[in-house]
Amino acid sequence: METYLRQIKSWSFLILVLAPFAMLGLTVGAGYISGTSGQNSQRIAVIADQPSLRKQFVQQNKSDVKADVHSVSAAKKAVKANQIAGYLVLKSDAQQVTATYRGGQSMASGLKAQVETLLAQQQQQLNLANAKLSTTQAAALQRQPQFKQIVHQKTGSAKLARLISFWLLVLLIYMILVTYSSITATEIASEKGTKIMEIIFSSTTASKYFLGKILGVLLVILTQLVVYVVGGWASYLVAQQTAVSKAFIANNQDLISQVLGNLFSVNLLYLLLGVVLYTILAAFSGALVAKAEDASKAAQPATYLSMIAFFATFPFQNNADALMVKILSYVPFFSSYFMPLRIIDQSVSTGAIIASLVILLGSILLLIRYIGGIYEGLMLQTDDTSFWKRFKRGISYR
Amino acid sequence: MLAIQHLSKHFGTLQALDDVNFTIQPGEIMGLIGQNGAGKSTTFHSILGFLKYSGQISWHDQPITESVFDEIGYLPEERSLMPKLTVEQQIVYLARLKNKSAKEIKPQIYDWLAKFAVKGKRTDKIKDLSKGNQQKIQLICTLIHRPKLLILDEPFSGLDPVNVDLLEQAIFAAKKAGAAIIFSSHDMGNVEALCDHLIMLKAGHVVLRGRLDDVRNQFGKTHLFVTTAWPQAQLEQLPQVVKVTQLATQRYLLQLADQAAGPEIFRQLTQGQYIEEFSQQAPTLDDIFRMKVGEANA
Repeated sequence: METYLRQIKSWSFLILVLAPFAMLGLTVGAGYISGTSGQNSQRIAVIADQPSLRKQFVQQNKSDVKADVHSVSAAKKAVKANQIAGYLVLKSDAQQVTATYRGGQSMASGLKAQVETLLAQQQQQLNLANAKLSTTQAAALQRQPQFKQIVHQKTGSAKLARLISFWLLVLLIYMILVTYSSITATEIASEKGTKIMEIIFSSTTASKYFLGKILGVLLVILTQLVVYVVGGWASYLVAQQTAVSKAFIANNQDLISQVLGNLFSVNLLYLLLGVVLYTILAAFSGALVAKAEDASKAAQPATYLSMIAFFATFPFQNNADALMVKILSYVPFFSSYFMPLRIIDQSVSTGAIIASLVILLGSILLLIRYIGGIYEGLMLQTDDTSFWKRFKRGISYR
Repeated sequence: MLAIQHLSKHFGTLQALDDVNFTIQPGEIMGLIGQNGAGKSTTFHSILGFLKYSGQISWHDQPITESVFDEIGYLPEERSLMPKLTVEQQIVYLARLKNKSAKEIKPQIYDWLAKFAVKGKRTDKIKDLSKGNQQKIQLICTLIHRPKLLILDEPFSGLDPVNVDLLEQAIFAAKKAGAAIIFSSHDMGNVEALCDHLIMLKAGHVVLRGRLDDVRNQFGKTHLFVTTAWPQAQLEQLPQVVKVTQLATQRYLLQLADQAAGPEIFRQLTQGQYIEEFSQQAPTLDDIFRMKVGEANA
C-alpha cells in the first residue's frame, strides 16, 4: 500500500496518466481555436431579391453565412474589412434562378455544393410550374436514381482496423512496460544495500515485502488503466458531440468500433499480465545492482527485453499466421506482444489463448515465488563486483 | 530469554562465527565487543534470520520466526531512513510493519520527540533534518513499539555526550520495562556504563565472557596508579613491576606481574609517609580489549 500511495502521489505518475488527455485536449483545443478564428473570414453574405429564397439558404447554412449583411453595398464593405470571404447574390424570375458569387477566392467546395443543390431545387420547381405537367407526369419526373453501397468488413475497414489496433496496442504495451519496469527497478535499486532494508526485514519477511511491492505497482498500473478507460470513454463521448470531431467519428464509426473492440478485450489482460511479468523482472534486476547509486542502470535488462519483443513484432504485423508468431505467443515476455497480434488477426482459437494465459500466469507465480525467496539475499548483499558474482552471491547469501 | 547455542557461520572458507553461546534474560543488557570483522554484525544478522547458520537461536524457547518479529527492535550499524517521508510518516510506517496501528502510534510521537530532544517537527521531511536528529528518529523507530528484544548495533556511534546520555536513559528504561537487550560498541565506556555482562568476539570465537566485574577481576588487580616524585627508572625496579607508563607529571601506571606485590610496593614507595595517590585496580575494559586484541595478533 505504501508503494501504491507513494507512486500515485508522485508528479511523474500524474504526468504519465494525464499526458494523453492533455495532448488530446491540446489537439482538440487547437483545432477548435483555428476553426473558430478562421470562421469569420470564411463566411459569406447572401443577398437575394426574394426574402424566402434567402431565408431558406441562411437556415440551411447557418454556420457559413453572416446573416446580418443584407445588401450588396454592406457586403462589399464587409469583404473589404475581411469580415466575410465574399457574397452570393441570388436572383429568381419566372423562368430562371441565378446565383453570382463574388469573392477573393473560389467558394469553398462544401458550400458551393449546398448552393448548387438549392439552385437545382429552385430551378426544378420553376421548371415544373412552367411545364404545366399532369400529376402523373410530375411524379414520374420526381423519380430519383438509386445507389447502394455495400462494404465487406473483412476487406474494407476491418483490415485497416487491424493495422491501427496492432500499432495502438503494441505501442501501448511497450510504453507501459518500459515505464513501469523503470519505476520498479529504480525504486528497488534505490533501497539496495541500505540499512532500511535490514529494519524492514526484521519486521516482515522478504517474500511478503517483495509481493507487497509487486502488488503496489500492479495497483498503480490498474489505476492508470482505469483512468485511461474511463477518460478515454469520456473523451469519446465528448468527441461525438464536438463539432471538430463529430463528422470524423460519424464517417468512421465502423472503424472506430472495431479498433475499440480490439483494444478493450482479452488483450488488456495480456497488457496487465505482461506488465506484471516485466515488473518482476525489473524488480529482480533492480535488486541485482551493485549499490543504490546504480539505480538508473537497473531497468536496463527489462527494457532491453521489452524492446527486443517490441521490434520483433514489426515483421509480422501483416503476417500473424507465421510460425514464429505462433511460437512466441506462448513464450512469457514475448506472448504479451505476440498473442494480441493473433487475437487482433482473429486467427487464434480460445483454447490457444487460454493455454498462453495459463503459461503466462504460471510464469508470473513461479518468478514471484523464486525471486521472493532470494530477495532478502539480493537486497542485503552489497558486493561491488561483476554482475554474475553479485548474482551468485545474492542467491547463496543466506 | 534469548538463547544462542553453538552458533556457527561461515562464508565460503571464512569462519565468521565458531560455536558462540550465550543467553540474555529479560531485563538484562549484554554488550557484544570485538574488533571490526570479529563477527558482531553476523551474530545480529543470525538472530534476525538474515543468514543461514548452524546451531540454535531461540526466543522464549521458540525459534525466531515472523511471529516474533513484532517483539524485536533493531537498530542497524549504519543509519538509514526514507528521506522523502515526514518524521511522522516514517515512524508510523515502521511501526505499522510491527503491527502497531497509526492510531496507536501517532499520539505517542510528540512525547518521543521531546524525550530525545529532536530539533524538528513531526511534519518535517527526514531529509531536512540534521544527521544527529535523523539518528534520533531512527532510535525512536526502534523503540516506539516497546520491543521485548532490543538489538542495537553500534547505537552510540556519532552521538555527542548529551545524546549518549539520552540514549543510555532510553536503554535503561527499556531494561526496566523487561526487555532483553544486546548491543555492540567500540566505546568500552558505554559498555561499562550499561552492561550487566559481556561477550568479546575475536575472529568469530568467544575470547571473553561474563559479568562485567567478574571479567575485570579475572585479570587480577594488576594495574597500579601512583602519583609520586620517584623517577620512572626507579619505579621500574619495584618488585613484580613489568611495565611503567607515565600518564602525567609525576603520575604513573604500573603493571604488575602479580597483584600480591601491592602491599610490598606500597611499603617501599611510601616509606610510612603520605602519598597523594596509590590505587590498585583490575584492568579497565578498554585495557582488556586491547590486551585481547593484542593476543589475537600475536
